[in-house]
Amino acid sequence: MPLKTLLVGVALLITLAAGVLTFLLVEQRDTQRLPQTAMVFADKVTLPDFDLLDHDGNTVGRDVFKEHWNLVFFGFTHCPDICPMTLSVLADAKRQMAERGLPLPRIVLVSVDPERDTPDVLGQYIRYFGEDNLGLTGDLGEIRKLTTALGIFFSKTSIEGDDYTVDHSAVVALIGPDGRQHGIFSSPHVAGNFVNDLPIIMASQ
Amino acid sequence: MKRIILVSILAVLAACTNEAQAPLVATDFVVMETMPGMKMTAAYMTLTNNGADDIRITRVTSPQFAAVEIHETILDDNVSKMREVPELVVPASGAVTLQPGGMHLMLMRPTDESDAVSLKIWSGETMLLALETGFTPR
Repeated sequence: MPLKTLLVGVALLITLAAGVLTFLLVEQRDTQRLPQTAMVFADKVTLPDFDLLDHDGNTVGRDVFKEHWNLVFFGFTHCPDICPMTLSVLADAKRQMAERGLPLPRIVLVSVDPERDTPDVLGQYIRYFGEDNLGLTGDLGEIRKLTTALGIFFSKTSIEGDDYTVDHSAVVALIGPDGRQHGIFSSPHVAGNFVNDLPIIMASQ
Repeated sequence: MKRIILVSILAVLAACTNEAQAPLVATDFVVMETMPGMKMTAAYMTLTNNGADDIRITRVTSPQFAAVEIHETILDDNVSKMREVPELVVPASGAVTLQPGGMHLMLMRPTDESDAVSLKIWSGETMLLALETGFTPR
């Protein structure tokens, strides 16, 4: 009888110890959650000075990114496939974050086709994906100041006749409320990547 | 009874004949809503070739758009490139999927404010398929 009691006692202790260990491991994993897909820079990138136009036609500089977490995509309105697809993914991610009561980023489209993307054209386009979104366009040289700093490539390419398209980086740059680039999301984009990683990055800064 | 059987046989024959004439089938056909201020949009679908020969699609036309082009978005090391595809080959007993981020139809310069889009898919001067659908919100 005493032996049986001892065995039961040992079994209970082992169970309890396993439970505590599991709890501690899970707890540790949660406090050490890391972004799964975003590349977060150890050294944040300071943006150069530039003069661009927002979609209302106001002249803005690098401070336009401040006080927001910005998901910045580079594209153009005459792009029927990847640009609207990416903006839809970002809008979907933002909607999912709103449903969870999380702090929300701002979606920004920087035009790589200022020739066709006037503030008015860009405004109609970007607002289609959400009223709070921001569109930036302007002088090509000024756009290049920003894209060069962020490691974004773009190049005008002729297609049939007088028409042209613009090859462009499909990444989404993450610019923090301090106005510096904190990281990058590689393509192809899936809403879940932003919903998972953004709160972790935003909470860790 | 004989009459019913005869009608049934004729119906089956008609279906077979129809199948033989039109081996190309489109499924999941969608045309994305044209965004405000824009003069173009994209269409997607899966094209299945039930025939024994490859099908070469050389052009697509629509009365609602001045031009329709077959394009492909190529994602090359995080750079998005869009290129025109002069000829879309649907392999014998195979399928090609036109989908976001890949092959798609670019519909340019709308000619009216219609709520529906009709497309004709051609191989040279032979019309292979006629399709119609409404616009899908993004």
